[in-house]
Amino acid sequence: MNELFLLGRRAVIAVIRLPEATIPTLFIPLFFLAVNIGQVSETFPKSTPFLEGQGYVAFQIPVSLMFAVATATSGLALVTEIDNGYFDKLLVAPIRRSSIVLGRLAADLVQGIAGSTVVLLAGIAFGAHIEAGILGAIVIVLLSASFGVAYAGFGILIALKTRNVQTTQTSFLLFFPLLFLTPNFVPFERLTPLMETLARLNPVSYVIEGLRSLVIQGWDADKIGACVLVIVAMGALLTGLSLRAIARYDR
Amino acid sequence: MTNAGFAAETDLAIEARGLWRTFKGGVEAVRGIDLAVRRGEVFGFLGPNGAGKTTTVRMLCTLLPPTKGSATVAGVDVVSEADQVRRRIGVALQEIGLDPLQTGRELLELQCGLYGIRGADGRGRTAELLALVGLTEAAERRTKTYSGGMKRRLDLASSLVHSPEVLFLDEPTTGLDPASRITVWDEIRRINDAGATVFLTTQYLEEADKLCDRLAIIDAGQIVAEGTPEVLKAGLGADVVSIALDGADPDTTQRALDGLVGLERVVPEPGGLALYVSDGAGSIAEIVRRLHLNGLRVGAISVARPSLDDVFLQATGRRLEGATDQAAMEEAPA
Repeated sequence: MNELFLLGRRAVIAVIRLPEATIPTLFIPLFFLAVNIGQVSETFPKSTPFLEGQGYVAFQIPVSLMFAVATATSGLALVTEIDNGYFDKLLVAPIRRSSIVLGRLAADLVQGIAGSTVVLLAGIAFGAHIEAGILGAIVIVLLSASFGVAYAGFGILIALKTRNVQTTQTSFLLFFPLLFLTPNFVPFERLTPLMETLARLNPVSYVIEGLRSLVIQGWDADKIGACVLVIVAMGALLTGLSLRAIARYDR
Repeated sequence: MTNAGFAAETDLAIEARGLWRTFKGGVEAVRGIDLAVRRGEVFGFLGPNGAGKTTTVRMLCTLLPPTKGSATVAGVDVVSEADQVRRRIGVALQEIGLDPLQTGRELLELQCGLYGIRGADGRGRTAELLALVGLTEAAERRTKTYSGGMKRRLDLASSLVHSPEVLFLDEPTTGLDPASRITVWDEIRRINDAGATVFLTTQYLEEADKLCDRLAIIDAGQIVAEGTPEVLKAGLGADVVSIALDGADPDTTQRALDGLVGLERVVPEPGGLALYVSDGAGSIAEIVRRLHLNGLRVGAISVARPSLDDVFLQATGRRLEGATDQAAMEEAPA
């Protein structure tokens, strides 16, 4: 536990000390939020049924949250340390290898909370209000950050398997299809049949739906439940694979 | 087993038997090496790039499992009791393992924490190590601002936080300027004087000669010579007369020297010949006379006692890579 705390604290400090790595991950979601609202809010005015009286910004907040938290930061940090030799230093210390991965994920949680808070506040500043109230806003931030932690396992897995900075960096691009094959611009039922089928097969859709329900509809147990289920399953899978990869690293 | 034999075995800080490592694609980096390093000695592992030094160190440090064979470090098996081995060893690998965003003090305090040295004890040990490696003044600076020599010294300090029984140093002076190399050598001597066994890999002959009580020479994954530097050099039993050919034909030159009194053997090397003769200084006049009689014009002729490079040449048929680089480094201003 002590080593997990030490390595987690180190990773958090690294995030704070390297703002140039964090700021771009916030710029993109804020940029998308502003551009999407600017382009589409005329097409979908407040009277649009699926907006339930809110502006289009409310519909877009979850998409920007996904952009804010789904980063390759941890994977990149890890592969950089593999590259510069610090990772070996940690491997020869008498600690559990899992604490190296979990320490990184602790930093992702902190970064995710900070990033999603900024995006949510920006959404509110653009005119959205959170139907589920302050508690709902806190849940949105925690669910988004948790999704970031779950997704970070992917970057860590790529880092451990490839040991290559460029590959780990480009692995982030795989998130784009996952994000865009969702009801990101309109609800499921307004997608074309093919897109709707693909979106319904995509687990990220249910994370977006869950977050969106808290913004637009209030507390919807089914949607929030599905969102939590996807995050837990994705986290268990990707973190589990990362822990297995580090346990087998050079063994 | 006799009592004497048993005593000798328990005296070993590192023991390897038939250690072998094959990488994916069939590359055999280490091919069945045996090692016996006694407690308290500085043991050198000398060889050119790609000889298998780092792979051996990584196996002994539990970073890489052997494909075949076995090894113990501080009496503990490196595969079945890897965690116990890690508590007893310090490691400074060739790639300097530092977190560039941490300060020197933070890095050492973290390292202390990972070895269970916490709170005031950790802070005290950190201060002690910073002073030991002369980095107290730079302790609050991030490591990315350190020079190569400072990074190496901090890396060395980080490998010492728990006072390891066995310290592995993988090419600790590669890339350092001469002044920093001497500082690192002093640290190694001090660490060894404090009781730690040091396993040092190097491609620098002078380093092996000056620091090591005993050494093994590794080439192409196999140990080709082992002993104290003095014994290895004495084993050649002759002076070395080096002749720079300066364009003269090696075969003609060699024929001209056939039958030279005291000549034990001639080893061709790039651009010259190495003559192993029983009395180097006494043979010079006769060598010059024979070359003159045969109309051979050569460059410099020099006499030296055998060096570790000659030992390497004798064992492998070629000079150690990097020997020239080192000579250049030694001539460069500090």
